Amino acid sequence: MPAERPLLLATDADATHALAKGLDAELHALPSPSRPEVFEGWRAEVLTGAPRRAIVVAPWRTEVEADRLDALDLERWKTRFELPFLLWCFALGAAGRRCADGGAIVALAQTPAALDAPGLTPELAIGDGVLSLVRSVAAAEGARGVRANLVTTPIGLVGPDVIAPTPPLAGFPGRVESHLIGAVRMLLSPDAAGLTGRAVSADGGRSL
Amino acid sequence: MTGSGTQDVAGRRTIVVTGATGGVGRGIAIACGEAGWSVWIAARREREGLAVAEEVTTAGGVGHFVACDAGDPTSVEHAIATVLAQDGRIDGVCHNATSGLSPVPVALSEVSLADFQDHVNVALRAAWALARSCHDALAATRGSMLILTSEAGFEGKAKLPPYAGVKGAQRGFARALAREWGRDGIRVNALAPLASTPAMETAFELDPAMASRVLNRNPLGRLGDATEDIGRAARFLLSDDARYVSGHTLMVDGGSCPAI
Repeated sequence: MPAERPLLLATDADATHALAKGLDAELHALPSPSRPEVFEGWRAEVLTGAPRRAIVVAPWRTEVEADRLDALDLERWKTRFELPFLLWCFALGAAGRRCADGGAIVALAQTPAALDAPGLTPELAIGDGVLSLVRSVAAAEGARGVRANLVTTPIGLVGPDVIAPTPPLAGFPGRVESHLIGAVRMLLSPDAAGLTGRAVSADGGRSL
Repeated sequence: MTGSGTQDVAGRRTIVVTGATGGVGRGIAIACGEAGWSVWIAARREREGLAVAEEVTTAGGVGHFVACDAGDPTSVEHAIATVLAQDGRIDGVCHNATSGLSPVPVALSEVSLADFQDHVNVALRAAWALARSCHDALAATRGSMLILTSEAGFEGKAKLPPYAGVKGAQRGFARALAREWGRDGIRVNALAPLASTPAMETAFELDPAMASRVLNRNPLGRLGDATEDIGRAARFLLSDDARYVSGHTLMVDGGSCPAI
């Protein structure tokens, strides 16, 4: 009997299509962050599906323009922080409930290293908030044997030219195919049976 | 006594504390009053706010109340303008207000959009609005911003996931803003308290097993006092004694949180 394909809850982006291909995952589209009015209906629809052993959550963002926090007006603050973070809450809530007993959830969050955080305060806030949500899921679902972990990446938020010190590994900020898929696959696998509530920074050592 | 370098001619610092009509916020306000500071209680409830302002004055400071709905950016902007109009300076802003839903148990898969948004508004939209409204005033005094987070923001909470989520986000907010504002001479920190407060009592009532979970793992075996344990630690971070401390989350929890 063939192994069940992972379920990938993700926004429509080149990166998530690459993720789906690399993981041989079934991509189930997340709603656009700009449409919070549909979040509850989306979650209800996802919860009608059969339990899944492996779920990846990746609300990928493609247009993030760094700027000082005090320069953001309310609309830009909502676009940069509130709407993406609310979408994370719904996506992780759905993943936690739908995950089968003994299954695994991996969240994939675009998060800058602290060194690169100036101009990206909303994104680092999302990253730390998602880690806390992932740990909440790990605590709530652990009794069923469900594990929940986080992979963070700066891809899409920062370019290769960053302030000193130079990231320890070459190729910063990394590529989905070569730097993310393996970390996600490892956390989904039985090799990570004892890991839950953990964050793996797949950023070439930038966040050390 | 704390603080020395950037006081006004009366030797007084001006501090704004949101959500200070009770609990930890009240404790922080009174502790800052003990240092002789001008302390503004920024809150919605005027009667309770005026009462805490009186306690600040009794403690040795100068207490004030200013109406402020932390989740409403316009209200935050008006409150900060009021403080600046009267005191002419702001040395520290402490964001303590939190959603009234914070102690209410709920499953992450069942939270409504409206409830999520309420958590986000009070915890994060308010932090953004305060930062936007106070940046120039804090740069002028080389002041600081302090955000009250929680051990929930480190370890998550099975029964309080929206609260844990926004508290974690506040930590990232403080870490990032500290790096962004450092060049302006402004420090940004967070503090994670564990205190005996009305909100904690409510949480214990709603989840009776919570009291043993919270206290059994606490090396000091007790909840903190809002003024003497939490307020004075917050005062340190708002003072010049912490002039080289930025981007930090100070755990003031009796050694309780195992995530550190």
